[in-house]
Amino acid sequence: MSDELLLAGAVLFSITGFAWLALAMDPHWKQVHGSSQPTPRARILLRVAGSSALLLSLILCNRADHATIASLVWVMALTAGALLVACMLAWQPRWLWVLWPWGDRDKRSR
Amino acid sequence: MFQSFRHAASWVHTWFGLVLGYVLMACFFFGALSVFDREIDRWAIPASRFAPQPMPSFDQVLRPVFESMQPNQASLDQARTLVDGPLPMHWDTPKAWTASATHRDPVLNLEARWETPNARVPDDVVGLRTINPRSGKALADDQLKVGSQFFYPLHHNLTLEYSITANGRDLGKWIVGCAGLVMLVALISGVAMHRKVFREFFTFRPGKNTQRSVLDLHNLTGVLALPFHFFFAFTGLLIVAGSYFPVTDTQLEPLHELHEKMEAQETGLPHERAGVAAALASVDAMVSEAQRRWAAKGMAGEVGALRLTHVGDANGYVSIFRAGTDRIASVSEGIHFQASTGQVLREDPPQTTVGGIADFLVGLHLQHFRHWLLRGFYVLGGLMGAACIATGFIFFVEKRKKQHARAGAQGCRVVDALAVTTVTGMLVATLSILLANRLLPEALPASWLPRDRLEICSFWTGWALAMLHAFLRSGAVTLGKINPAWREQCWAVAVMAIAAVLLNWITTGDHLLRTIGAGYWPVAGMDLSLLVAAGLAMVAARKLRQRERGQKATGADRARAPAGAREAVNV
Repeated sequence: MSDELLLAGAVLFSITGFAWLALAMDPHWKQVHGSSQPTPRARILLRVAGSSALLLSLILCNRADHATIASLVWVMALTAGALLVACMLAWQPRWLWVLWPWGDRDKRSR
Repeated sequence: MFQSFRHAASWVHTWFGLVLGYVLMACFFFGALSVFDREIDRWAIPASRFAPQPMPSFDQVLRPVFESMQPNQASLDQARTLVDGPLPMHWDTPKAWTASATHRDPVLNLEARWETPNARVPDDVVGLRTINPRSGKALADDQLKVGSQFFYPLHHNLTLEYSITANGRDLGKWIVGCAGLVMLVALISGVAMHRKVFREFFTFRPGKNTQRSVLDLHNLTGVLALPFHFFFAFTGLLIVAGSYFPVTDTQLEPLHELHEKMEAQETGLPHERAGVAAALASVDAMVSEAQRRWAAKGMAGEVGALRLTHVGDANGYVSIFRAGTDRIASVSEGIHFQASTGQVLREDPPQTTVGGIADFLVGLHLQHFRHWLLRGFYVLGGLMGAACIATGFIFFVEKRKKQHARAGAQGCRVVDALAVTTVTGMLVATLSILLANRLLPEALPASWLPRDRLEICSFWTGWALAMLHAFLRSGAVTLGKINPAWREQCWAVAVMAIAAVLLNWITTGDHLLRTIGAGYWPVAGMDLSLLVAAGLAMVAARKLRQRERGQKATGADRARAPAGAREAVNV
């Protein structure tokens, strides 16, 4: 795989990883899904998936560059990813629905 | 004095942050610009808009240039303060010649050094020259490299080169050092004050009242980029530590000298001249030998730096360093040759762990690597730092504005006017130098100041005018309202940024369609960033207008602060 693809993947996993970690938090879950909180099982799944995505991002960075560069790229990709997730939560929280469509909004509206 | 640690941390964070925040603002913003300093140079010096080159032939191109070099005027002027008698008319027997190339630089920077004779403290004079590596021709001396010769020095010493210690020309360096130290303190005290680092990790509520949303943004830009802020403040201090603790030039000088001599014995690289003249063997042959040895180690690469020590002497030696574009350490794998014979004297051994960590910490700040994504991330980090500081100022004002308005105090008015000066005013100054660079003719009348001096004057004039404007319009703050200077300077930034892009087109013919079409990203990227900056400044100005209107309708007691400042910072 080319370095560009690996790095694009790393940034993407940083964004999705933080999005899942944010969804595991009550106020952000509410912003995206409308209901008060995720089920305990969903919360654990979100945390595991989020952390794994961030770890995967590190692995991809390390495949693309020398380890010294990869460590910095990863840390900065985390910053950029978290900032983007925070901005989406501020202005377009519903976009994050795509990353975890299993909320109970439908049940509520019924 | 304080009820708790948190109160103490809060006091330190607020007041130290306020005082040195104005300096940090410049460090972060011009640091972010310095990430792309060579690209800004290309925009400012149209004659150098060609592709980067590897190090050219030393024997054919560099040697004749080095042999013709003499010290620069500024360096001679400084040497005069250290010598009682007259200085030599002609400088021969150079101590060292150095050529350094980067993967982003189409031009090559050369430096020659001579020992200052009869100086009260040992000192060197330097000659600097920038050449076109394809022809060996020098670039005009009055062509200011706006990025690497102005924005970059602003980042690390504010271009305040007045002597306050024996080390010389270091006032700005010390101010920036204090600011860097305060940055570290502010980060730690900031985390200590912030009760909900993790619970509010992603929290930004733009719809809430200004004080709340500005604090959200302050926390967000501070916490999310915390590793960046910490490492850059820390490594910045580390790089200049030798100036802050100049023990090798003062108390420990004899030890330092002894160490250098022992090291010379150990490495076989002579510490002193032999005093016997010797010819110079082919340096190009040494370069190919060095490249062969790197390739044999599986580290094929280009030459990053080349240095000839003890020029023209039997003890002379040539050091060739590999460009560290594929890792963080800037240059490495040095190989040293005897200058007169071309024999290998020494190959630097593998780096020790401690040396490797030091190289990593310094290299991550100086960034010689070839990695455009990481460079982009660094700009993001720098701008987040600037946004963090700017929102800190606005929060300070918002919190006290109404109270000060009732009491008739002027504190907020001054802090707010200074915030306008360091946020939008800094952008006005930056754009002033870019506009002056494009507006001044290539050749100026002899009676004028040199071109580079005029460009720098326009920068400070632009900034001074922005400051004057900010203070003249600051009356609104004493009534608890928004200073209209925020909005007006946003418009100025938008107009100036667009004018800079147009002037680049008119004076060089390089418009965006052409530069993007040709894939010439240094200039295309600069023009695009200017246009994005203009767009953001316009959005900010309009938002500020809405807020000012809303304020008039609802009365001064529901005063709101400049939300647009955030957008303006992100330019």
